[in-house]
Amino acid sequence: MEFLEYVSRNAQQIIFLTTQHVQVVLLSVAVAAVIGVSLGIATERAPRLRRLLLAFTGTLLTVPSFALFGLLIPVLGLGLAPTVVALTVYAIFPILRNTVTGLETVDPAVVEAARGMGMNSWGRLRTIRLPLAWPVILNGIRVSTIMVVAIAAIAAAVRGPGLGELIFRGLARIGGANALNQALAGVVGVVLVALVLDLLFVLARRLTTPRGLRV
Amino acid sequence: MSDSFGSTALRLDSASPPNDVMIKLEGLRKRYPGQSTDSVRPLDMEIRRGEFVVFVGPSGCGKTTTLRMINRLVEPTSGQIWIDGRDVTHTDPDELRRHIGYVIQQVGLIPHLTISQNVGLVPKLLGWDKKRIEPRVDELLDLVGLDPAQYRRRYPKQLSGGQQQRVGVARALAADPPVMVMDEPFGAIDPITRERLQDEFLKLQQRIRKTIVFVTHDIDEALKLGDRIAIFGESSQLAQFATPLEILSHPADDYVRSFVGTGAAIRRLGLLRVGDLEGAGGGAGAGPALRVPPETTVYAALEQMLDAGAARLAVDGEPGAERSLSLQEMLAAAARGRQVPS
Repeated sequence: MEFLEYVSRNAQQIIFLTTQHVQVVLLSVAVAAVIGVSLGIATERAPRLRRLLLAFTGTLLTVPSFALFGLLIPVLGLGLAPTVVALTVYAIFPILRNTVTGLETVDPAVVEAARGMGMNSWGRLRTIRLPLAWPVILNGIRVSTIMVVAIAAIAAAVRGPGLGELIFRGLARIGGANALNQALAGVVGVVLVALVLDLLFVLARRLTTPRGLRV
Repeated sequence: MSDSFGSTALRLDSASPPNDVMIKLEGLRKRYPGQSTDSVRPLDMEIRRGEFVVFVGPSGCGKTTTLRMINRLVEPTSGQIWIDGRDVTHTDPDELRRHIGYVIQQVGLIPHLTISQNVGLVPKLLGWDKKRIEPRVDELLDLVGLDPAQYRRRYPKQLSGGQQQRVGVARALAADPPVMVMDEPFGAIDPITRERLQDEFLKLQQRIRKTIVFVTHDIDEALKLGDRIAIFGESSQLAQFATPLEILSHPADDYVRSFVGTGAAIRRLGLLRVGDLEGAGGGAGAGPALRVPPETTVYAALEQMLDAGAARLAVDGEPGAERSLSLQEMLAAAARGRQVPS
């Protein structure tokens, strides 16, 4: 197997790029999670603004990633900065959407009873609504992560970190020695990263879903 | 101040005079923005300490809105709310609600918290320490008929509807609030369990003597539970506010009469006690007599007499104060006070 031989010979580089890939994805998703969840909570009393934000961040998803990376070059240059910004932009929508859905699907009777017992709105959010919405929010974070793992491969177009480098280099010299194997290593790497992260989310969901919801 | 009503032990009887006003509503009115009529027309009402008042009426009559204005889940458009001599119309609503027990039809237990955490919620909001909350939770679970050892650590979903509402009642009582507001608490429970919960709740109320405002659309439930009943009309007007006996004996108008429905005369017998029957009695008459304690209702006594084929009733009492009533005398006594003075 020529491919496996290629992988084993370049293991060090592949592992390095994979680590970079995971790091940049997790960093972007973490930033997006903070922004998405905050926006979801902050716009609770401004339903119009909330609809506007959902429409806007949803529309951003339709911008081709290659174009978005390119558009960011004049502003942020090359490398890590435009990569993280672009990935964050893409990751916000699913998280915001699920935060809104998650908060909306909490049983109003539970919130009403808590209100009637004198729990203020911050207390209701912190001890009731967020924990109950959490499984849905987490699912949004998961969708964003998987999506962004794939998009991050394009970041190589702006010299961003990650497995995209293997794909772009390989495709640039296609026909050359090991060119296809190099590109293939990048693609397989991206798929594996996505699979492993997805599994980790299943685990995280189990570990973080409150016990009372699972009984 | 935050803990002024709290006490670890339940108050077993009220030391206050019976006519002490606990809740006073003055010109309380609600009109929602954009509506041309009041959802609750200006309402004046006084509810005494330890009294169990039931609001009853058709849907849309404003009974729930009125109830929710008492703990300010609905802010009144005008008027005043007094609780225990204090004007609470404009005080901090969260603070106010921590001292008013609240029970709703959907129960609304917090699903990811244990039964114990649910019951301990208000004490925790009031800043009680753990050592004080734990025994209090156990005491309350015990009070509503749930074994603490068995249920403390369970989650709401693991309980039946009836058990969940027991927890709902325990939760409302947790910080020993002097006032409880209950919005159709037994409305979503199957009839057999509902009846049992009603009976148990009545017994509980005899021990704890809370001031209770209870909403239902079921007149039978109202007649069974209430010390006094407020019957609301369609246009959010108070049609009558009186004791069950008074409502059955002297309905204020045709609306009340039709709302109470048929059989008022018979249902009255379920509220009268043989010991309270006036007149008659004294000497022993002819024929075998059925012996009953004075707290037996006329309804139950009649049923037992029909079963036993007895024509006379002997009411237990202090030696020498025993009374004996014939069927005729019973009916006459029961009917007395029934005639509408008009």
